[in-house]
Amino acid sequence: MRKVDYTSNKTNYRSDIVSAIKANDNGVLKSLYKANYYKVEGLVLKNNGTKDHAKDIYQDAFLAVWKNVQLDKFTPQNESSLHGYIYTIAKNKWMDYLRSKDYKKTIVSDEINDRNASLEDSETNSDDIIKEQRLTSVMQAFKDLGEPCKSLLRQFYFDKKSMKEIANELQLDAASTRNKKYRCMQKLREIALKIDK
Amino acid sequence: MNLSTNISQELLETVERYINQNMTSDELKTFEHKLESDSEFKVQVEDIKTLLFGIESQSLKEKLNSFHEDIHKDKTHNIRYLQFRKIAAAAVIILSIGSFWFFNQNSNDKLYANYFYPDPGLPTTMSSTNNYKFYEAMVNYKQGDYQTAISKWELLQHSKPNNDTLNYFIGVAHLADKNEQSAISFLEEVTKNSNFPLANDAYYYLGLAYLKTGNIDIARRNLLNSNSDKSKALLSELND
Repeated sequence: MRKVDYTSNKTNYRSDIVSAIKANDNGVLKSLYKANYYKVEGLVLKNNGTKDHAKDIYQDAFLAVWKNVQLDKFTPQNESSLHGYIYTIAKNKWMDYLRSKDYKKTIVSDEINDRNASLEDSETNSDDIIKEQRLTSVMQAFKDLGEPCKSLLRQFYFDKKSMKEIANELQLDAASTRNKKYRCMQKLREIALKIDK
Repeated sequence: MNLSTNISQELLETVERYINQNMTSDELKTFEHKLESDSEFKVQVEDIKTLLFGIESQSLKEKLNSFHEDIHKDKTHNIRYLQFRKIAAAAVIILSIGSFWFFNQNSNDKLYANYFYPDPGLPTTMSSTNNYKFYEAMVNYKQGDYQTAISKWELLQHSKPNNDTLNYFIGVAHLADKNEQSAISFLEEVTKNSNFPLANDAYYYLGLAYLKTGNIDIARRNLLNSNSDKSKALLSELND
């Protein structure tokens, strides 16, 4: 007879949602995106912002949350902790924006540091800043990469399609697809190196 | 990326196997040993990881707009959630009433003096935005000239009567100016919006204002709504 595991619900949610996010599951990401948008929009609209502001801030926050889950910097314990986390990140980003307007770089204020000290724990040390800059360069490079390469790399690394699947779609054999993928990576790296300088 | 050496196809695919946890235990052992002992190798691996993560991040970023397209089509379910929050907040308030009865007027004044200091205000910048007037008043506020700040903000408030940021600062300025009753009316307005970024501060100052006027129950109720440490500290002293 099978034993009932009463604790499994909790742990299942955790591993399910984390692995779905890590696998870039389209349905999960989309419903997560939709579930949390209105609250953030309400916050921004109530506080001097427009719908465009809300969208920008929210997408920024959503991407940051996704990154932190990918990098195991944040592991949600349940659904509401994940939702709360998205909202908090968005709120902090909007507060930063409100407090600085567009003049973020010119402000050096103890008050800001004091109030935000607890919020930005992962982005403060210099190592992380360098990593973040490199990541930004790669993201820009990928944006600029030509479509055939972009699509190939996206399918492989983001959609997590198998090499075989991609090869079928391209009507190539597996070895040529592998080579193509490698050449695309080299191209991406070259562009990123240029941006990084 | 600080690397001058090229990344071979083999290395790329090895790192992919490592990330996807597709290595045999022997291969993993060798790989991890090399990571620890060979710093150039480590840099190469980090760079590949960054490349892969960058592809993923940018792919998602480009996808978000498509997620956004059907966002304003179904808006109703959100309201139910907010209703729930209101009921939950009301429950907290009801529970807190009647829990505590005794307090001492003198010690409350002392507590107020210990806990009240004016909100530090927003950083002021040399900006040319239409918020110039707002920040001009903020300078007055920071200099302790609360009445000037209040009169400037109240001018702005005529055109934006429901602006929480304005109401909040007018409220805390009144409180700093020892005008608790006016502070209360502005801060009460602000705390109606639970989404306001400074809601925690608003509840805290509202709690202080009520403490000053001797309405300890209402003070507690508002402090309970604030998550800030100072609020909790003040609450615990009130409960002692």
